Amino acid sequence: MERAVEAALTAGVAVSGLLLVAGLLLGSTAPLWWGVLLLIVTPVVRVLVVTAGLILEHDWLFAGVSLFVLGVLLSSVYVSGRL
Amino acid sequence: MIAIPTLILIFSGAATGLIGAMLGIGGGVFLVPLLTLVLGVPIRTAIAASLISVIATASASSTINLERGLVNMRLGMTLEVATTLGGLAGGLLAAALSQRQLFLAFGATLALMGVVMALRSGRRNVIAHDAGVEPGRLGGRLREGDQAYVYRVKRLPLAMTASLTAGAISGLLGIGGGVIKVPVLNAFCGIPIRVAAATSAFMIGVTGAASAFLYFGRGDIALHLTSAVAVGALPGSLLGARLSQRVEARSLKILMAVVLLVVGLRMALQAL
Repeated sequence: MERAVEAALTAGVAVSGLLLVAGLLLGSTAPLWWGVLLLIVTPVVRVLVVTAGLILEHDWLFAGVSLFVLGVLLSSVYVSGRL
Repeated sequence: MIAIPTLILIFSGAATGLIGAMLGIGGGVFLVPLLTLVLGVPIRTAIAASLISVIATASASSTINLERGLVNMRLGMTLEVATTLGGLAGGLLAAALSQRQLFLAFGATLALMGVVMALRSGRRNVIAHDAGVEPGRLGGRLREGDQAYVYRVKRLPLAMTASLTAGAISGLLGIGGGVIKVPVLNAFCGIPIRVAAATSAFMIGVTGAASAFLYFGRGDIALHLTSAVAVGALPGSLLGARLSQRVEARSLKILMAVVLLVVGLRMALQAL
């Protein structure tokens, strides 16, 4: 599970880093917007990966804990859409 | 607001990301004062930028901490229940506070944690050298050089309360909350400082995301400033996570205590 989480974080950080650098060099807003958004979404993807890993390990207690965290994050997305 | 050169912003992100990743606290405690006190950025804009930079630092340094086996993932997920709820509440509350109240809250929080850290810097929390001792469901094992250590998690309700507070402060002040969690986990809950720092950094990304969506939705994020700081924070935090292994645990605690006290008092004075 550690490897999968590490891969998800590395991919998120690398792609958003590239988008932000490209946006700053080109003076363009769109890559900056996507880069910042991807940075915020990366931890959510990390929680998804951990949840999947815990389910595969049949660790139901911690999978439940992980699903709860995911629920709080999704409710934050919902609330932000209504601000 | 005066336009600040991009390179200065990138350098600020890199420097605070480096120190933040070394201490496992995200770096917002240094970035917000640097942006507001030195570069003259309004505190609300600085908090939003810091929150994004803290997420970048947490995600980048976690890749290295995971590789080293320092992250206690089950403990992290358990405490995230409290940090995300706190993050959501803090993010909502932030809109209601004045600039002066934000400065005061920030300064007082840092100074208090600095005192706690300084008073408890001499303690070690490792319970046994024998790797055969049972660490419990939330505890773990840690290898340092040739030695294997075992630790157990004590006072989980306190750890959860600290995490809830850390989450709320993260959402309110954009600082990740490691500044609360690392000292409490280490000083009162039996977690070795390196595991506390790595697990805290692992949680900070998720805590930050819970409130970052709110800042994003409100349009509080200054895109250019935030992006430049985050671009610096990424390499800075990768370097910081690598360097943290070479620094002695007690030096880490004392460094953190001194920085918290000085920055905290400076921020509180700004509000008076």
